[in-house]
Amino acid sequence: MRRLLAALAAGAFLVTVSACGSSGDGTGSDKSSSGGTTKVKVGVIPIVDVAPLYLGQEKGFFKKQGLELEVSLAQGGAAIVPAVASGQYQFGFSNSTSLMVAQSNNVPVKVVSNGIASTGVQGKDFGALTVKGDSPVKSADQLEGRKVAINTLKNINETAVRESVRKAGGDPDKVKFVELAFDQMPAALDSGQIDAAMVVEPALATVKSQGAREIASPLVDVAPHLTVAMYFTSTSYEQQNAAVVKKFRTALAESLAYADAHPDEARQVVTTYTKIPAAVLAKVTLPAWPADPDRASLDALQKLGQDDGLFKTAPDLDKLLP
Amino acid sequence: MRGLNTALGAAGLAAFLALGEAVPRLGLVKEAYFPPTSRIADALGTELSDDTFWTALGDTLTGWALGLAIASTAGIVLGVAIAVVPYLREATASTIEFLRPIPSVALIPLAVLMYGTELRSVLLLVVYASFWQVLIQVLYGVQDVDPVAEETARSYGLGPWARVRHVLWPTALPYVMTGIRLAAAVALILAITAELVIGAPGLGARIAVAQNSQAVPEMYALIVVTGVLGLLINVGARTVERRALAWHQSVRGEVAV
Repeated sequence: MRRLLAALAAGAFLVTVSACGSSGDGTGSDKSSSGGTTKVKVGVIPIVDVAPLYLGQEKGFFKKQGLELEVSLAQGGAAIVPAVASGQYQFGFSNSTSLMVAQSNNVPVKVVSNGIASTGVQGKDFGALTVKGDSPVKSADQLEGRKVAINTLKNINETAVRESVRKAGGDPDKVKFVELAFDQMPAALDSGQIDAAMVVEPALATVKSQGAREIASPLVDVAPHLTVAMYFTSTSYEQQNAAVVKKFRTALAESLAYADAHPDEARQVVTTYTKIPAAVLAKVTLPAWPADPDRASLDALQKLGQDDGLFKTAPDLDKLLP
Repeated sequence: MRGLNTALGAAGLAAFLALGEAVPRLGLVKEAYFPPTSRIADALGTELSDDTFWTALGDTLTGWALGLAIASTAGIVLGVAIAVVPYLREATASTIEFLRPIPSVALIPLAVLMYGTELRSVLLLVVYASFWQVLIQVLYGVQDVDPVAEETARSYGLGPWARVRHVLWPTALPYVMTGIRLAAAVALILAITAELVIGAPGLGARIAVAQNSQAVPEMYALIVVTGVLGLLINVGARTVERRALAWHQSVRGEVAV
């Protein structure tokens, strides 16, 4: 009996172990090329920002470079950065501050190309600091002592809102920041749970349709053409597959330029991977899609982040950027 | 009796749906955030006619079924082994009590690091959460074996395998069934949560996309689908349980009433 059960137990243990993992292929799968095309996995968030990637795929810009894209939708940068760093994806999309935080924590990431940039026009950006239509707040400095919603504390949007408050002559330390998902902001603002919200599209279009007012364009306040998010890879992938990274960058540059020049097609492609209602999509302000990161804006973002204590050690932008 | 229960259940559901229609229509909550039942039904219709919806449903059910199968098998085999070998039981008790309350979602970063946003990430979370449900029930079940029956079997010269088959298993089976029924529900919840948070393909990821897209009726329509799925899984598990335990007094007693 004992012997039998011991055997049973050992067998069961093996079953669980093999079932729970270790058939893993880790980083080995990235070189699965067939007939001259290289397959690469790209982790992105299903939002307007990544329209150029889909558009470039549709137009064959990646195929022309011998790349076959497999786009994986993740729910946020929190899932994308570790997946790229560990080699599950070859490329990813994340906001500039998150990448700087990763770099300052010695996570081996390397920027490949620009992702999106602010339009640089006050009052006409894809992200805005908004208050309810009948709110007494007229400018960002009046947010002192009030509740402002941002999607993630200690990240790019907090930096930007703090800068808007500072520029308007207020003290950002007196603002009460609360964390709230973008999609929940319209309802929270409408019901008065928060006094202001830093929203980006498409939630911005919804907020505006409720009669909310923009009181600042925080992303523009940080720098005129702020590089808000970028495409990146892992440093080891960059070193071992320099040619693939170069091809990806070339195809992406073409895609970004095309999307920038054809906003209607960019809007159209968004409907293929999101569920943004047509009426909302028509009102969405598109971001700018330059191919290269704007170094000056990133320097400004880093400096502000450092002043606000976002980084444990100063991120090395020379190492992070291409 | 049965017909009455079904009728009552249907009436309850109808009242709930009517309430869902009335509350936004009366302006108690804004339609933009809580659309009336008819709008959700409309969005549900559009979803059902979309091929990608069925792919997502398939992905979710695959994650659920695979996860449940792995967790049940491992739970039963390990549970019997642990319960029967006294040393093993002593050695694992504290470890089990330590691991069991760890919420599966806390393992999300680990899952993403190991498997990215694939099915295997979902499986990791599903198996971890539902495994304990089965294991604990099996442990209770084995403990419930009548010592007299066990001794009788021994003295009649039944071998270890025969004792497991004829004494231990019939006693433990009702517990195992309860464990699997609980695990089935937990597995569904975790499969959808994993998709929702990590972004692995499936209904959960579709809900998240609808959320990000400000597509409120579509989001509720998908949530309704997950609710229906949970209902069906529960009904299915109960049916299986009733069939498998048709001989057991708990089930026979139910029929007699």
